Amino acid sequence: MPRIVRKADVVWQGSIARGEGTLHAISSGAFTLPYTNASRIADPEGKTSPEELLAAAHAGCFTMSLGSELARAGTPPERLDVRCTITMDEVEGRGHQIVHSEIEAGGQVPNCDDASFAQAVEAADAGCPFSALIRASATVTISVAPR
Amino acid sequence: MATDRTVSATWNGSLLEGSGTIHSVGSGAFGPLPVSWAARAEDPNGLTSPEELIAAAHAACYSMALSSGLSKAGTPPEQLDTSATVTFQPGEGIVRIALTVRGTVPGIDAAGFAEQAEAAKKGCPVSKALAGVPEITLDAELV
Repeated sequence: MPRIVRKADVVWQGSIARGEGTLHAISSGAFTLPYTNASRIADPEGKTSPEELLAAAHAGCFTMSLGSELARAGTPPERLDVRCTITMDEVEGRGHQIVHSEIEAGGQVPNCDDASFAQAVEAADAGCPFSALIRASATVTISVAPR
Repeated sequence: MATDRTVSATWNGSLLEGSGTIHSVGSGAFGPLPVSWAARAEDPNGLTSPEELIAAAHAACYSMALSSGLSKAGTPPEQLDTSATVTFQPGEGIVRIALTVRGTVPGIDAAGFAEQAEAAKKGCPVSKALAGVPEITLDAELV
């Protein structure tokens, strides 16, 4: 398959404490979003942050991976619900670091029992490129939501 | 202090014919954003994708790290224009991220800016989280 290329850009104005950034999805045009340092580390106040975008990327990637595993097993989902929480923390001597990504997956999948769903969730984690990538520096936990 | 950010996504149907939605972002800043495999792998047709969201996260984090470094050095930027381009090879994963930054920074010379730009690439939390990407390039210049 050909390579997939996606681009985003940011205009940041000013110092870290008082400045503000604006983020654009260049490839799709799907969003233009403001963000600040305060909205990143304290209350979001309606603004996104790099960690929220990573959570969206991981949730999106994992969801497609799980849909693919279930289809391969002959039980394509009617609906999947995936939640991702990314945690950034200050690590001694290493500054701020993304330390954890937590995925919770559930959904409605005809003819798929709990054991088969759990198996598909594990396979989805193994096959999701984002899960593999983030494990280089953070822990990833995957759980099955009550269905 | 740990900071958590949560996002939910929903998917309906098979991978190739189905479609999904990224919604319920904790901040309320965006969404719902529709996604599909066709839009991810072929022409975006106005839809975002995990790779574009990673590009957005990296560009956003890098810009803040660079502003932080420049501010600490006593030369806060007037403006930084950053882009991140993520290249995904199906079957392999993300193989490359290209960062470019153009800075308007009073009181700093090219060498000082290059040093801060490189430090931000190494130090920003998203760079550290994406350390498994085989190639992360940086093209930094003052304007």
